[in-house]
Amino acid sequence: MSALSLGSHRPGRLLSLIALRIRREVLEWSGTWWFLLTLVVQAALGPLIGMFVWSAVYPADSYVATYYVTLLLVTVMTESFEQHTFSEKIYDGTISHDLLRPQPVVVDVIGANLAIRIWLTAMGIPLALLAGWAFGVSLSWASVLVAVPLVVLGGVLRFCWVFLLSLTAFWTERVHAIAGFGWTLTSLLGGTIAPLAFLPGPLRDVGQLLPFYPMLGLPADVAAGRVHGLAPVLTGIAMQGVWIAVFAVCAVLLWRAGIRRYTVVGA
Amino acid sequence: MTLLKLFAAGFGRSLRATLTFRVNLLFDIGLSVIGLVASLATVFIVYARTDSLAGWTEAETYVLIGTFQVLSSLKSTFIDPNLAWFPDNAIRRGMLDTFLLQPAPTLFLASLARSTPLSLVQLVLGLGVITLGIVDHGQPPEPAAVLAWIITLAGALAVTWAMGVLLACLAFWAPRLQLDVFYASAWQLGGYPTDIYRRPLRLVLTYLFPLTLIATVPTSTLLDGPRVLVLVSTVAGATVSCLLAVGCWRLGLRRYTGATS
Repeated sequence: MSALSLGSHRPGRLLSLIALRIRREVLEWSGTWWFLLTLVVQAALGPLIGMFVWSAVYPADSYVATYYVTLLLVTVMTESFEQHTFSEKIYDGTISHDLLRPQPVVVDVIGANLAIRIWLTAMGIPLALLAGWAFGVSLSWASVLVAVPLVVLGGVLRFCWVFLLSLTAFWTERVHAIAGFGWTLTSLLGGTIAPLAFLPGPLRDVGQLLPFYPMLGLPADVAAGRVHGLAPVLTGIAMQGVWIAVFAVCAVLLWRAGIRRYTVVGA
Repeated sequence: MTLLKLFAAGFGRSLRATLTFRVNLLFDIGLSVIGLVASLATVFIVYARTDSLAGWTEAETYVLIGTFQVLSSLKSTFIDPNLAWFPDNAIRRGMLDTFLLQPAPTLFLASLARSTPLSLVQLVLGLGVITLGIVDHGQPPEPAAVLAWIITLAGALAVTWAMGVLLACLAFWAPRLQLDVFYASAWQLGGYPTDIYRRPLRLVLTYLFPLTLIATVPTSTLLDGPRVLVLVSTVAGATVSCLLAVGCWRLGLRRYTGATS
């Protein structure tokens, strides 16, 4: 039950374990660079389609292209695939190996997540630069720097959300359908289909309260220079923190319930 | 005829297997509805701010989305279950060896033998959205336009199959090249009017990798009526694509040396 809990382990040791895992995963993924490129295209396509659609609606508004180029980068940098890297281990029983190791199971999940993100970021930056050049986008360094903590927290939030959905693999075989549902919600209310400012009033109000805008749209809006002043940035960070806490608690509860159900056959 | 019988037998077997897992059926219905609602929400959000998107009205875009849903459903039902992870399953793990030993065309067995009937839920929803769009459009299509829509839809499906086979064929030369994730992602580009894309992307998506024509040509045919040039081009394009796919498959098979003993 304590296999997910990080609290009983020394932070230094945990960081070393995560760093080792990242190194191993980065090396493992380096042999599949072509597949990684297709993952980058998959992640970038939503923001690119949004950019084409909204540029057709507002051809003279430079905000559209700036927002979507930053959103492309944020999306690529925060991609999470725990329905593949974690849930599949539940399905094929290999999570048993992780349960026997003297470390929390989530260490390997975090390591794999960060390693994939490192690759996707390295491959996504040239794509974002190309899109930015094609649409004549210019960003201010100040806005980009302010956006850094929001991107980091957005990445943590997105990981927590996808990991939470992936834990449903203990109960159902349809985790990919559930993850697909989560992706649809994130696209609709996170700012991919349309910037939050373009949503109709009630939907915009709901979107501001839910965790999806802080995952993607908020860091992109800050980097694009759309958010002015320190107060909205701090409010956004607080919102990200609250949702991370909510998802983390839910993940621990789901893990405890799920691991009780988990049974495996074989030596 | 033999192929049709094989196809029907495979579909029947898949249908029986699908209906055994009813909770999965509910999940897939739910997911299809959510996906469709998201697509419709996109249209609603866009047209809340404009009357026309690259020359397409809201009603026309509903018909486009419905047509795209119909095509996506047919692709998910009959093409994806066969060609997904083809390089890994068929070439590297040697499933192709099994197909080669069976008394039926290998291309048929590799690309059309299996199906996922649950995905046809999307087709029903797509037809509903097309009806909604046509009612909103205010001009019901002539029977000739509906017939031409079916012909262009069949042509689009043939091109979709051919592109899937061509991408899968690359695995004969580069077995680690896994392009079906790329194809599934790029497929989403077809759900929007061609004219929203800027050059040179528009040219690529029109002539080289004709994803944007797949839904827009049948939709325009249904809404504006049949045009001989469009119909001839569609049939010719579909025939050439299929011949190219069959040719590449045969060339690829000559290179294949088997992965199992």
